[in-house]
Amino acid sequence: MARSIEQFQQQFDDLLAYWPNEDQELRKLRSTAFDQFKNLGLPSKQWEDWQFTDFSSLKEIDYRLSRAEDLPQLPDDITERISNTYLIFMVNGHYQPDLTDIPESISVTTNLDYFNSNKKLYLDYKNSNPFSALNTSMMNSGICIALDSDVTLDKPIQVIYATMDIVDPIMNHPRFIFQLGNNSEVTIIEHYMGSTDLAYFINPVSNVIINNNAKLNHFRIEADDPLANHIASTNYTLGADSQLNSVSISSGSKLFRHNIDLTFNDKGGYANLNGLSTIKDDQHHDQHIIIEHFKNTCQSKQLFKYILSDRSSGVFNGKVVVKEDTKQTNADQANKNLLLSPEAIMNTNPQLEIYSEDVKCSHGSTTGQIDKEALFYLQSRGISKSKAIELIINGFAKDIIEQINNEDVKNYIDNKVTNWLESVLIDV
Amino acid sequence: MLIIKNIHAKVDGKEILKGVDLTVQPGELHALMGRNGSGKSTLANIITGRDNFIVTSGSITYNGNDLLDMPIEDRALAGIFMSFQYPVSIPGVNNAYFLRAALNAKLKYHGKSEVNAADFMRLMREKVKSVNLDESYLSRAVNDGFSGGEKKRNEILQMLTLEPELAILDETDSGLDIDALQTIAEGVNNFRNKNRSFLAITHYQRLLEYMHPDYIHVLIDGKIVKSGDIELANQLEKKGYSWLEA
Repeated sequence: MARSIEQFQQQFDDLLAYWPNEDQELRKLRSTAFDQFKNLGLPSKQWEDWQFTDFSSLKEIDYRLSRAEDLPQLPDDITERISNTYLIFMVNGHYQPDLTDIPESISVTTNLDYFNSNKKLYLDYKNSNPFSALNTSMMNSGICIALDSDVTLDKPIQVIYATMDIVDPIMNHPRFIFQLGNNSEVTIIEHYMGSTDLAYFINPVSNVIINNNAKLNHFRIEADDPLANHIASTNYTLGADSQLNSVSISSGSKLFRHNIDLTFNDKGGYANLNGLSTIKDDQHHDQHIIIEHFKNTCQSKQLFKYILSDRSSGVFNGKVVVKEDTKQTNADQANKNLLLSPEAIMNTNPQLEIYSEDVKCSHGSTTGQIDKEALFYLQSRGISKSKAIELIINGFAKDIIEQINNEDVKNYIDNKVTNWLESVLIDV
Repeated sequence: MLIIKNIHAKVDGKEILKGVDLTVQPGELHALMGRNGSGKSTLANIITGRDNFIVTSGSITYNGNDLLDMPIEDRALAGIFMSFQYPVSIPGVNNAYFLRAALNAKLKYHGKSEVNAADFMRLMREKVKSVNLDESYLSRAVNDGFSGGEKKRNEILQMLTLEPELAILDETDSGLDIDALQTIAEGVNNFRNKNRSFLAITHYQRLLEYMHPDYIHVLIDGKIVKSGDIELANQLEKKGYSWLEA
């Protein structure tokens, strides 16, 4: 057995010992999932869907599960708090109810509590890869947000999952469940951040269920530390006539992998998925998206953009599957990449698998450098080269940021992108 | 103001300009005519500093300074503007934001205080009218989805906003209908004064009828072979260029 698997086995055994009185069904779920993880092992270059991403950094360091003593001194104020939001705060895996402020109209519970009342949701969850299996086996944190039917929340919920002031390389396997009842409407910001000098491993799974005619704005911000490994799965299930507007920003982490799986459970669903990755140094960000159109009259749109500086590398693999006999499917998929350095690398693979006649689909991908003509045009108006480059890159990112339909969140992200740009444009 | 002496220049290794001399004084409007490929746009691009155009010999001074030594943006800040023949679209970059950045760069360069967003928008609402553009153009991305005519009007709008000393109009009249041509000619004419100079590159006599140039130059095979007044344009209209060829 590989050393890394042994290390995970050790951690798994410790976890079971730590919570000896856990629900038997949950224990069984964990054990089955861990066996599944062991059977699969960590992905290697021979795995087609994982071939461009090297997971050896997970083998180099022994990550241990976060423990109670890893709870740091809590900050007086949370600097990354976005204005006009409700807050749910977790640090090093520990939920902080005292720092949490949410209205009574929504239910926020730990996984343990949610498991007791919604077992089926957990038992039915299909681990689609070794990391989601690892998450199921070691689920140790996260939160479940449930909205009843016909609830509309006036402000977004910002869920912060912070890793800070750690003394060892820790790992966490948070499970998030966001469940919207029929006709409900909410904005959820799933926000990962880090503030530490040590490497850590975070392996979240988000299970998002949008019931009939409900609307979710899901903004995911990955701003983990430069030494972090962030490997995530997000699973969306959309009910009849439901709507999802999703924007995923990734900028932190040395290694980032995000699998997004989206299924329309009924007719008339609409999914607008967007992503912006801004990476530099040796960062590697990899996103795999699978959208299954198995029901009639559903629409999906994907726009994923990468801005790559230095020696960073990116992977985009997007797949749309339209099952035979489905009617009136609309699916668009686009990936656009801007390379700011000759050493940056992008691997892109947009795919369509269409088995139905009644579809309107498009897909495409472009990768290029800063448009020299545009640069000359701006400079010829008296704008300095560095400012011109900044304008062009901001312009490139803009149509993703425009998808954020909340001004406070949009301004927050816009500032983050601008700060990132300033950090990479110093060398220009 | 602009003194071009014996300029030779290459593009992609091919010699395009073969000894051009031209002097433009304040307040003058010079028209540069010639067939496609004669070197007109090359001259414009050398003045503005596009990097794939290589000057092999000769000199250009602008207000006594060596222009060829100046970075692209410094030429603009010193007062040179080019209305592009093919303005590039820049997705995601807002017209008003871009133009304010350009204006503020210029104001700052001249030691003046920058214009705030509100004052700038007031100024722009006036300017867009003068080139018959709708206010909504200000909130669109630079040239993105613009028609040919809209792009050219947008170039003139930028000229009117940035108030250059020397404006190069690179085939600003091409692809325009008569109404648009008149709007643009009026914009330029209203902008003329004793300090501002123009170098208008064109194929057509019509623009010149509206603009009344002081001098007309004919460029053939990388050299100015004849200079004159509006009468020269009339002759070209009748006889074409072949009578001027050696």
